[in-house]
This record gives sequence, structure tokens and C-alpha cells, in this order.
Amino acid sequence: MSEAHDPAIERIAELLRPLPQVRPEAVAGLLVAVAAERERGREDSRSAVSPRMRRWIIRGVGAALAAGLAGVVLLRDASPRIPSAIGERGGATIARRVSLVAGGGATAVAGAPQEVQLLLRAPSASRVQVAGDFNGWNPHEAPMSRDSASGLWSARLTLRPGRHVYAFVVDDTLWVPDPRAPAARDADFGRPGSVMLVGRP
Amino acid sequence: MNGPRRFALHTRDGPSPPAAEPSNGAARSVLVHAARSGDVRAFAGLVDAYYARCLRFAMHMLASRRDAEEAVQDTFVRVYKALPKYEEREAFEPWLFRILANRCRSAGSRERRHAEVVEYGEVPERPTPPGHDDAVAWREEIGLALASLPTDQREAFLMRHVEDLSYENMSAATGAGVSALKMRVKRACDALRIRLKEVDRE
Repeated sequence: MSEAHDPAIERIAELLRPLPQVRPEAVAGLLVAVAAERERGREDSRSAVSPRMRRWIIRGVGAALAAGLAGVVLLRDASPRIPSAIGERGGATIARRVSLVAGGGATAVAGAPQEVQLLLRAPSASRVQVAGDFNGWNPHEAPMSRDSASGLWSARLTLRPGRHVYAFVVDDTLWVPDPRAPAARDADFGRPGSVMLVGRP
Repeated sequence: MNGPRRFALHTRDGPSPPAAEPSNGAARSVLVHAARSGDVRAFAGLVDAYYARCLRFAMHMLASRRDAEEAVQDTFVRVYKALPKYEEREAFEPWLFRILANRCRSAGSRERRHAEVVEYGEVPERPTPPGHDDAVAWREEIGLALASLPTDQREAFLMRHVEDLSYENMSAATGAGVSALKMRVKRACDALRIRLKEVDRE
């Protein structure tokens, strides 16, 4: 079954070969989805017990309790941990970083979960959104509203305590870090990211 | 029934961008190796290198750009998750196309089930765009002929004649044997040739 050169087939193939134009926002969305996947993987690895193992432990503990055995220690180990830096760093470091963020782009408000306000000055933007680990890196879930007088965009978000990485998405395509927050060393896929720490240890 | 609306060729998006295809195997290997080691910039480099090709394949396999973009996005997410298990002695490209083709197949199945529902309604004819001429009509006919091929034949034809994969790589990408793939490509070519002759006569 040889494949002799066939002008008719070549004519068809030539028609199909041009590469389509790539929409930058589609690529951005793809990288956001991959970043979200990476965050999920990190959460699982941070957890002392994998979600699957946790289910098994809970089942096992349930069975043990049903059998009249105590499982307090296992239950405590099996409960989900907050996937944040809070449990992994010293309190002084956290306090310093919280104040750094509080004085900058995000303001921690008492209470848990806590409300934070994010601000960005972008007078010429027509739309600004926030994407971060807290919304699955989906900017559509956190639109910011604009103050027409100052050109300041703001959004109030209710976040659980812990470390959060985020970025602003300007006019659907431009990803910018929060200029007043620490840069995330693990900014995803060459995109800028900022860090905020919500709450205290 | 709804073919002309659903299976338009996508080459009318405008001129092709500069060749986004990776230019040499060594550079690709470096990117893959770095991405496997957790280098996120290298992974972004792989996306840059292969996105347009994956999109081209998906757009010819699926009905719409939106579906194709979704399929490509899911493909790269799966690639990212599977990279730690990827054996570097296996060629990356067929491995990537295996994931992409699987994703397109499952999206195509959902699409067909949906089409069975909507076909009974009124399907509006696509308005004729300005500048619609014989060349455009011919391209649309070929798009329809391609879309009417069985999925496995369309997939094999695209991999061989558009993506320029070898039969060995196609076998790695599809899991089918080389003989079976040659048969699929031949049948696809026969069907397209017949359709092309019909169009030329009209």
C-alpha cells in the first residue's frame, strides 16, 4: 500500500495545513488551568495524608468506632489541613509578612474567613479582574470595580486564612502583579504573581 | 443537515502566524526534560511550541474553535499531570498527539450526542459571507468531506498528511497498527478524492 504522490490529496492537505491564529487569551486560560492543577497537586502534597488515604482512614476510623474503639488521634490526623504557609513557618515571619501585605495591596480584616481588599491603579483599563489560587485562577469570578474619579480598581474578597498567590488581569490579556505586595517566587509559567497572607497563625 | 454551519474550515482565520512549530528536535528535548523536572517556563515553552499545531488538529477534528480550544487546554493540563510518568525515550510528539486525539474523540462523541438532539429543530442556514466565491465554496466542500469521514479515518488522514507524522509515530499516538493506519489513510484519501472530483465537476 504505497503512498504515491497524489496531486489531488496534496491539494487538500495544503488547504488544511495553515496554522490557525492563536488567541492569546486562550493560551493565558490554558496556563491558568495548568497553574490551578499545580496548586491542587501542591495542596495534596502539603496535606499530611492524601485525599484518598484520608477517605480510607475516615472509613477505617468509622469502622473502628462502630466496633467500640477510640480513634481520636487518627481523626485529628485525618482532618484536612489548611494548605497554607501558616503551619509551615514561624509566627514572627508570618506576622511580618502579614503587615507587609496589609500595608500594601491587600488589607486583612479581623474575622475568619477574612475579607481583604485589593487595589490597583489602572485609569486607562476597561476591565480588571483578580485571578488567584482562591478562585481556581479564574479571573471571571473576581471582577474589580472602578472608581472613575481616581482610576482605582478595587475588589473585596472573602478568603480563608493562609498564603494566597494572585495577579491582576487587565483587559482580559495583561497579567500584572500587585505592585504593593511581595512577588511570588513561584509565579506561574512566567506570569507575574503576588503573595498575600491572610490572618494570623 | 447542519454540516455547513458546524463544519466550516478554519483556514479563513487569516494568514498563518510565523512557523510556531519547534524547529529542531534537540531544543524540544531540552524543553521536555526541563518541564519534566518542574521548570514551569519550559512547560510554557512547550505550550508555545505546540499550541498552534494542536489547535489545528483539534479544529479539523471538532466542530468549533471553542471546542477545539477546550480540547487543547485539557490536553495540556493532562500533559502537565502526566509528565512525571512520561518516559523520555518515547518521542514527545506522538505522546502529545495521543492525549490530544483521545480528548478530541471524547469531545466528538459528546458533540454527536448533542447533534442528535438539535438536528430535529430548525437549523438556520449560515448567511453567505461577503466575498463568498468558488474558492471558498471549494474549501467548504473539502471541510464537509473531511467532517463526513469516520473519526478514525479523519484522525489518521490529518496525522499523516497535515501533521506529517510517520506511521510509526501515528501508531504510538493511536495505538493502532501500521497496516490498519495505512488502510484508514487510504480509505480517507479515496473518499476525499471522489468528493473532490464531484466538486470539480459541479
